[in-house]
Amino acid sequence: MNKSLSGRTPWLICTAAAALAAAALRRWQLSSAFEASGLAAPGAQASVILLCVLLITGAWFILLAMYQPLAKRPMAPGQAHRWDLVFLDAGDPVYPALAVLAAFLALAALPVLLPVGLTQWKLYQAAIAAEVQPPSNNGMLTIATAAGALLSALGLLQMGRDGLRPGKRGRGGFSAALPGVAGCIWLMESFRAHAANPVRWDYAPQLLAIVCGMMFYMDFAGMSAGAARPRRLLWLAAMTAVLSALSMVSAVSELSALSAAGASIRCAQLGDLLLLLSQTLAAAGVLWRLPPNLENPPKPRNIPGAHPGRAQEIQEEPTHE
Amino acid sequence: MENQEPNLNQTPQESAAPNQPSPQTGAQARKDSSAGRELYLNVRVLVTMMALFVLLFTFVARVIVVSGPSMQNTLFGGDLILVWSLGYTPKQGDVVVLTQESYQEDSIVKRVIATEGQRVDIDYDTNTVYVDGQALTEDYIKERMRLPGWGEGVNHVVVPEGCIFVMGDNRNNSADSRLPHIGIVDNRCVIGRGVLVLFPFPHWKGL
Repeated sequence: MNKSLSGRTPWLICTAAAALAAAALRRWQLSSAFEASGLAAPGAQASVILLCVLLITGAWFILLAMYQPLAKRPMAPGQAHRWDLVFLDAGDPVYPALAVLAAFLALAALPVLLPVGLTQWKLYQAAIAAEVQPPSNNGMLTIATAAGALLSALGLLQMGRDGLRPGKRGRGGFSAALPGVAGCIWLMESFRAHAANPVRWDYAPQLLAIVCGMMFYMDFAGMSAGAARPRRLLWLAAMTAVLSALSMVSAVSELSALSAAGASIRCAQLGDLLLLLSQTLAAAGVLWRLPPNLENPPKPRNIPGAHPGRAQEIQEEPTHE
Repeated sequence: MENQEPNLNQTPQESAAPNQPSPQTGAQARKDSSAGRELYLNVRVLVTMMALFVLLFTFVARVIVVSGPSMQNTLFGGDLILVWSLGYTPKQGDVVVLTQESYQEDSIVKRVIATEGQRVDIDYDTNTVYVDGQALTEDYIKERMRLPGWGEGVNHVVVPEGCIFVMGDNRNNSADSRLPHIGIVDNRCVIGRGVLVLFPFPHWKGL
């Protein structure tokens, strides 16, 4: 790949284009590839094309990741080689802003999911008390997902804060493990909600989006835990954005159907939509900040607030190969 | 700067040239094996395992808990069964898990009596199910069939293309294809085939 394509531009352009294409194809699929019963029409053109686009997108992002220019790992003082400094950049408000916005979206899912879970829990308990067949969902996983949304918000806020206060020390993205772990609960809840659904297109993209999101957050956290996989992190961030965009179209479609039927839209689908949007913004923040800093890690001497002795120690290390 | 690491999963540390002296001091090296890093690695393994399990359950096989008596004496309420989904096409005699939303949103477990193109005739007087005119030998049913409370329902039918006719082994306590709300089931409603009873251990058997 031409070196002129380095930096954030190819990642952002390709991810945005793929996300828009996936969302448009999903809309086409929803309008043409399902029968009135809700079952998927076999061999529907929209489904085949959407699958091909996703596969090609995944392959293209692998190529982008393979050819991502990568400097030698920066050294953090008193620590072994770590990459967490690559999320720091004084004067660039985009990454912290996206992280903080993602945090508030995750937080917004809490008051949506918690009442849903509590209502399900009360219905379940009422059925038990009445000695009738209880509903299959007792609401516990929904309540746990709401708690996970709070955990995600805290982790994302810390990520944004670390981006705003560069140079203090290399703790970088370790707080990203919080939304990663919370993603496990959300994944279980999403699977449970669709376990009886025979139409995989209804839920598989969302499960894949959550899996990509979880893994992307964990790789983000690994940047500050001496277990960095920056190329895979970039790939996962891009796929998280694309699959989340696709899943958001499904969630919006379900919410529109509920709204048209006169039902309340304060439901699990709205919670999913907020969480998907949250992880999309977090992934966009990583795609904005990571590629240029992987190529040219920020030098502590340029970061206000860095410890002088520490900066000297880091300057002695080569930053490029 | 040149592109040094073509491997997507390669960590920067793995790509370091072996003949270059490591700039790490002993203290720095110890940091990489700190409790924080160990904790992170353990959490990452758990998260990865969770993701793999859910993807496995979605696309390959899953474990479900049987609820209700409709498949007695083959399956009992509370049995944990392994359901195979990947590349499965329903065949006569298989125990399948399916969802018929016209009846209920939760999945149900039934046995496939006939597949596409086959004719099903149920004779309650002689306790016999005929498929294409041949009487089935059904040693798996719990007891002699009685006429259901809803009447004869769907009991003389040719199964359309891409569909199956299913019944529970506990014929007198089973909502199945005989019930008009369920009727003939589209193959696409089938989640998978029950292959094994996993739990409780005394019920452990292949299906």
